[in-house]
Amino acid sequence: MAGTGGTAPATYSPSPTTHKNKTSLFQQDWVRPDGRGFHQCRPAFFRTGAVNAASGSAYAEFGNTKVIVSVFGPRESKKAMMYSDIGRLNCNVSYTTFASPVRGQGSDHKEYTAMLHKALEGAIILESFPKTTVDVFALVLESGGSDLPVVISCASLALADAGIMMYDLVASVSVSCLSKNLVIDPVFEEENSQDGSLMITCMPSRYEITQLTVTGEWSTPKINEGMQLCLDACAKLAKIMRSCLKEAASDSQE
Amino acid sequence: MVGLSLGEQHFIQGGISQDLRCDGRKRLTFRPIHVETGVIPQANGSARVRMGATDVIASVKAELGKPSFLQPNKGKVSIHIDCSSTAEPAFEGRGGDELSSELSNALQSCLLGGKSGEGAGIDLSSLIVIEGKICWDLYIDGLVVSSDGNLLDALGAAIKAALSNTGIPRVQVAVGESSDDQPEVDVSDEEFLQFDTSGIPVIVTLTKVGRHYIVDATSEEESQMSSAISFSVNRQGHICGITKRGGAGMDPSIILDMVSVAKHVSEQLINKLDSEIASAEAEDQE
Repeated sequence: MAGTGGTAPATYSPSPTTHKNKTSLFQQDWVRPDGRGFHQCRPAFFRTGAVNAASGSAYAEFGNTKVIVSVFGPRESKKAMMYSDIGRLNCNVSYTTFASPVRGQGSDHKEYTAMLHKALEGAIILESFPKTTVDVFALVLESGGSDLPVVISCASLALADAGIMMYDLVASVSVSCLSKNLVIDPVFEEENSQDGSLMITCMPSRYEITQLTVTGEWSTPKINEGMQLCLDACAKLAKIMRSCLKEAASDSQE
Repeated sequence: MVGLSLGEQHFIQGGISQDLRCDGRKRLTFRPIHVETGVIPQANGSARVRMGATDVIASVKAELGKPSFLQPNKGKVSIHIDCSSTAEPAFEGRGGDELSSELSNALQSCLLGGKSGEGAGIDLSSLIVIEGKICWDLYIDGLVVSSDGNLLDALGAAIKAALSNTGIPRVQVAVGESSDDQPEVDVSDEEFLQFDTSGIPVIVTLTKVGRHYIVDATSEEESQMSSAISFSVNRQGHICGITKRGGAGMDPSIILDMVSVAKHVSEQLINKLDSEIASAEAEDQE
């Protein structure tokens, strides 16, 4: 699917940090399975309009992580829900049974739904669709690592495709800590052996973080470094998302 | 909780910006914390923590189980929180599920570290009995009895106290004939090993109201928040987990500022909590 685009998929690796990669000092010299540098992200591929039946949809492919998100709405809220003068956002993230290497193992990611909801609700202008609900359904077709950031970025692109008013696009990147090395955009193997992870969701143009999750033990300078890497990568990812939307708009005009 | 009128909302926000909250506390002051341990005799460890009107109970039960395939030399811990309907009528039936799963996930990411088990507040390798075959499974259950804000901090403190009250029974292993057989284990009823809790982090939630952050928000103050970030800090001052609640966006420099405030506040909280737990244990012994 990635080969059908005219240009090569753009990559959103952040600018290198001031100190060089300290490869010589560490006992465990980790070589990334796909040969990337520690601060190099996978090439990002986005396509909007993947699902015809939905109000808006997007497909994202980052290396081996393939995600499709469809947005339905604004639709009438179920009768049981009370009147509300702001809109409602309903999210769901599900994995296909063939998404993970072992069949059916992706089902222990139930918290992704809540995290997607938290990441998006700060960016959507809910007052623009009172009394109605916008449904965001994400389906992970293949889980190759760093799933939730890809889902969040793809979802915000799908919302833009559906024409839902937002303050800004939401871009998300995660960083894994592998025994003192910070690797950005981890793959499945790296995530399983990580010592800690930091995931940031931000609105790049407003320079605001909507969601931040850190697990594992981090010292303050490491958190600083991780955040800078992620914010840098998010800014570049947002540019790629924007250019994808512009392409789709100019294609439909022809 | 009854809704707040506009005047009450302004009063809360104005007070916070002037470093004087509704109950007279400063922005970075906790409510008095009361800890009781050993409240549930049937559990391996338990504790009850009260912070103002917030009342939570944590219990730890240990059962023998098989270690996971990926980590054969570590025990397993699972954390589950239940919001009882006595706390809020809205929690009845499925209503409290969303809050319970949010709290469970936040506690799991704060206390259990990365996937490889590194950086975990709880030392999982001390739970192993026979590598690859038998380990202790700890089931940590939290119950919210009464909710007046700051549930995550109270649950974190209760879990820390419950774990320091936990006694794991001593296990005698009889070596089987072949290494594939399930070894015979004799679980002692008399001797117990105390759990090492010096590495367990505390959780500090900083709630942002207007332009200032407060610690230990009551539920009225929480209703006025724009966002809240919970930091889990251990004794060495390292951050063990961060979760953000609330949808509003935040500037990254504010987050870094909050990290340093959280570290400063957590030092006092760790000392306070340790002394409370020690005195609760001492009372329990009598």
